[in-house]
Amino acid sequence: MAISREHLMLVLRDVFDPELGMSVLDLGLIYGVEIDAGRVRITMTLTSEGCPLHDAMIEWVRQAAGKIPGVEAVDVAITFEPPWTPDRIRQGTLR
Amino acid sequence: MPPLRPRPAIGPPPLVPLGYLACAAGAFVVASAGVAWLAPELAGHYYHPRVLALTHTVTLGWVTLAIMGASYQLIPVVLGRPIWSERLARWQLAILAVAVTGMVAHFYLGTWPGLAMAAGLLAIGITLHLLNVALSLRGFTEWTFTARLVVLGYGGLALTTLFGLTLAANRVWPFLPTEFFPTLHAHVQLALLGWVTPMILGIAARVYPMFLIAPEPRPWTARLQLWGLVSGVPSVVLGLLGVPALLVPGALAVAAAAAGHIAWILEMARGRKRPGLDWGLRFALTATAFVVPAALLGVALASDRLSGPRVALAYAVIVLGGWISLTIVGMMLKIVPSLVWYRVYSPRAGREPVPTVAQLSSSRAEGPAYVLLTSGVVLLAGTVLTGDTTAIRGAGVVLALGALAFGVALARVLSHLRLPRPTHAAAHAR
Repeated sequence: MAISREHLMLVLRDVFDPELGMSVLDLGLIYGVEIDAGRVRITMTLTSEGCPLHDAMIEWVRQAAGKIPGVEAVDVAITFEPPWTPDRIRQGTLR
Repeated sequence: MPPLRPRPAIGPPPLVPLGYLACAAGAFVVASAGVAWLAPELAGHYYHPRVLALTHTVTLGWVTLAIMGASYQLIPVVLGRPIWSERLARWQLAILAVAVTGMVAHFYLGTWPGLAMAAGLLAIGITLHLLNVALSLRGFTEWTFTARLVVLGYGGLALTTLFGLTLAANRVWPFLPTEFFPTLHAHVQLALLGWVTPMILGIAARVYPMFLIAPEPRPWTARLQLWGLVSGVPSVVLGLLGVPALLVPGALAVAAAAAGHIAWILEMARGRKRPGLDWGLRFALTATAFVVPAALLGVALASDRLSGPRVALAYAVIVLGGWISLTIVGMMLKIVPSLVWYRVYSPRAGREPVPTVAQLSSSRAEGPAYVLLTSGVVLLAGTVLTGDTTAIRGAGVVLALGALAFGVALARVLSHLRLPRPTHAAAHAR
């Protein structure tokens, strides 16, 4: 089964930063996704380096993507280049 | 191509910092009740054994344990180094809890040899903490603003402890050639400005932008904070100990650091993306307002424009109760829910509905705590100036009720720890 980018974005919308109560997509944490047959590679960042609460989100992103039918492997790579800034937050999503 | 790297979790298990923070909160409730209890003593001179018992309940039991607990959570995050020994961290808490209880009890009873012994035990606990931090930081090279302030703070803690031990020994076997009160004031200022202030400024520099979702402020505000403290604290301490010419320049340098901190907070508050402020952030931002009267009073006391035990006590209330305590209350209302959430709900996330971190907090308790604690501190600062016992007791009751509401708010968050943790197999099942 082919994996669509739209489906991937849909499941990532359900991965929330527990402190801010916002999805990783609305926060602008997802820098890029690559789909190669059954293999998904997600490049993302975190709002701050080293926070264990945020580190847990990496695993949730991996789990969410892994639930999509047809996905055989998920690689989540973390980068802090460019560093995340509040300007990446999608307008109107902050409460 | 940007560098890609895995990010292993490096923080200690949440129960280590939570243990420190829970003990600290307990000391805060006891100290706040103690204000009402010791109103007659607070209406007199501050150098009274029971006032010293109250002061050390605040400075050691509340402030120092809270900072140590926060540092066990935040140093791995801020400095990127795992804590060298979690077991040592647990032992330290037991040693420090016994030592602080012993010191406070001996101060209260006015038994000096016992006080010296408890101070010795405290010094052991603090030395173990410093050792644990120093070994955690071996090979550390990224000297950020926060890292410099944290190291500065630990230097201040070491010197404050040495100073306190000397004062305790001098009480039993008098040997110090210096005048007593200036030496006592030097110990107090070293603790407040050399230990607590750099730690709060350093930790705030890391967590406030995260909590407020604000861009990093301009670097001059950070430089002013750092260099104001680096030049001001030694000058104030030496000025009190015997080089009077250094006292006023030192106080002005510390006031400049305070101005830098206020400018830094204002810039962040103005540039923040988070529109709504929760109670934790309201506490932290309100606490910053107390820096202004604290700095003005500090300079006025250093330059002898104001003097006397009543003004000195009001200064202590504004610094310890206003800026430091309200800041710690605010940070704890942010940090404790995060730690509890991480321990209880992080393994469940994605497998079952879980609350957000904010949903663990109780605004029904935090709101009254905010009103009572902020008004209680203002009332106490005003009433110790007048020296009226009944008014001080009234302010103490307001403070105690506020501390109780804060304790209830924390207890409600901590009650989530009773939920059974998912088994390893369940946590990793798809």
